[in-house]
Amino acid sequence: MQWTYFIYFAVAAAICWAAGALFAWREDGYRWAIAASCTGLLIFAAFIAGMWLSLERPPLRTMGETRLWYSFFLPAAGLVTYMRRRYKWILSFAVLLSLVFVCINLFKPEIHNKALMPALQSPWFAPHVIVYMIAYAVLGAATLAAVYLLARPAQGKQSQVMELCDSLVYVGLAFVTIGMLFGAIWAKAAWGHYWSWDPKETWAAATWMAYIIYIHFRLHHPSRHKAAMWLLVFGFLLLQICWFGVNYLPSAGNSVHVYG
Amino acid sequence: MWKHPWGYAEGLTICGGLLLTGIMLQFAVGKVELGRLSYPFGLIAGALFLILLIVLHVASRRAGLLRWLSGQVAAITAVSALLLLVIIMGLTRQLPAYEDVLSEASARHNLSMENPAGRMGFMQMTSAWPFALLFLYMLLILGLVTLRRLSRFRLKDLGFALNHLGLFTALFAAAFGSGDLRRLRMTAPLNSPEWRAVDERNEIVELPLAVELKSFGIDEYPPKLMLMDNSSGAILPPGRPAGVEVEASPAVLELAGWQVEVVKYFPAAAALINSDTTLFAEMEMEGSAAAVYARVRDANGAALREGWVSCGSFMFPPIPLPLSDKVSLIMPDREPRRFSSEVTVYTKGGDRRRALIEVNRPMAIDGWQIYQLSYDQARGRWSRYSVFELVRDPWLPIVYAGIGMMLAGAVFLFLSKPRKE
Repeated sequence: MQWTYFIYFAVAAAICWAAGALFAWREDGYRWAIAASCTGLLIFAAFIAGMWLSLERPPLRTMGETRLWYSFFLPAAGLVTYMRRRYKWILSFAVLLSLVFVCINLFKPEIHNKALMPALQSPWFAPHVIVYMIAYAVLGAATLAAVYLLARPAQGKQSQVMELCDSLVYVGLAFVTIGMLFGAIWAKAAWGHYWSWDPKETWAAATWMAYIIYIHFRLHHPSRHKAAMWLLVFGFLLLQICWFGVNYLPSAGNSVHVYG
Repeated sequence: MWKHPWGYAEGLTICGGLLLTGIMLQFAVGKVELGRLSYPFGLIAGALFLILLIVLHVASRRAGLLRWLSGQVAAITAVSALLLLVIIMGLTRQLPAYEDVLSEASARHNLSMENPAGRMGFMQMTSAWPFALLFLYMLLILGLVTLRRLSRFRLKDLGFALNHLGLFTALFAAAFGSGDLRRLRMTAPLNSPEWRAVDERNEIVELPLAVELKSFGIDEYPPKLMLMDNSSGAILPPGRPAGVEVEASPAVLELAGWQVEVVKYFPAAAALINSDTTLFAEMEMEGSAAAVYARVRDANGAALREGWVSCGSFMFPPIPLPLSDKVSLIMPDREPRRFSSEVTVYTKGGDRRRALIEVNRPMAIDGWQIYQLSYDQARGRWSRYSVFELVRDPWLPIVYAGIGMMLAGAVFLFLSKPRKE
């Protein structure tokens, strides 16, 4: 598998996902939506698996490679949410956001060579990053729901959608916590200490705290929806800084989390 | 304000007060010297904190105001205040905790007395008073809510207990144990036991154990061929550099429109350099470098140039193969796949153990962990010493207990259903 084939897999998957998202809007389209989305996911997964095999390492090192997983998990999270809650719009939003990241990878690919520096050669590498990517996708879905509500404040459905946000945040925060703790255990083995306040770690802590605040706020004020939605947007903003924004901050000059 | 029940205003005011107190303390006495919390002071401080926690917990049964401390508003405001400091920390370039921000050395880095972030301690956030006070306040709240829930524990509180007690345990041990954390750096030469190391300030420390380096090695990835712009030195094509790995010879490789025929490939070779020619002979010796004899054709299949290309080593210079006035074929330095040091470690107790230390595979002995850190970069594979980091953290098991509880707690969080409205 070569990176140059990405466009074929990406286009095929995108067509399936788009079809799935369209079917979701139709009353009788439930099964078709699931079938189309699953096909898209399979195609995309085949590409990731092929890259893994040909690179002889998990494709998780570069930003482009993590975007690959994010583009995969986002429609997956959207699909699971759709199957559980039957929201028509969630697939469209998830697919749209996923396509943004697919396009970034198409137009600004990054080098994908086989080399994996010794610090990344650890059994913790794949779980640490994959768990985080799932978390980002799930929290991305929660943010989409919040933005949808902020843009179209539908009175009747609001508490339903807030409930959806809560369950997505619970799942997302569980994964963020696991990703962070796996990272801590790995850091102890690789760098000598479990937490060094490296810029990436600092922003991971900030992100984690923002979602902790959200959960406690929701428990204390279940009816203050608007503030809760803004909290979700704020948390997701911190998450973006943690994921890639940190590379552009002057404070990250000596981060040990930069792998090109 | 300050009427029962307290709300966000009161919670934020408390945090603001702590923040101000912290800033004033920072100006008055300078940063928190975490090193002073070393044994037995860290242990004593931790014990006092736990006693304070229990006293407050018992007293909170009578005093409603204290009960507020284990409520959600207190938690939300405390975490928010701490989050503010963490964000400031994420935006400000941080200096190592041992460095003296206000000293002359730092002034040279343009971090003079006038720098407000530096003066308030924000450039060494984790040893700044505002951070320390807000952190302890948050830990106190976390401890109180944990105690309150544990004191009337029911099985359905298990997830809550694991999450809160786990976080409390990990943070408590990380904070009060920080003074006992030792991180030392040792440069061990080949075949000569070394028992001295240096701390962050480059002061020599004698250790209760000695490390003897038996051998050091680097496994490298196969060499790569790339194209370089002769005038700028940039790798081509600009923005998305291309490279091909050489794994065997003969082989024909495709590189950004050029056809590269690998006629000979020596993973280890010595260069024979005359005034006008360079030849390579396959040879495994100290300083040998990878070399490829390549024949390069352009897109039309016309043979352009042939010759040797090598990445060089500390013995031999890198050899490029010019293809035109503008472009050369080059071999960048090979990327390391693995560093490893074979060592024998002797302890004061007379114990003697051999081990292979690699990145991600430290060796544990007598409460110390020994990490592969560095080597002589100029000599690469032929480094005659290895640099190790030696870490001792007696509080680590408690931190791990906390992490374990949080991992179990995360599973509960994953399975839990949000409250119905």
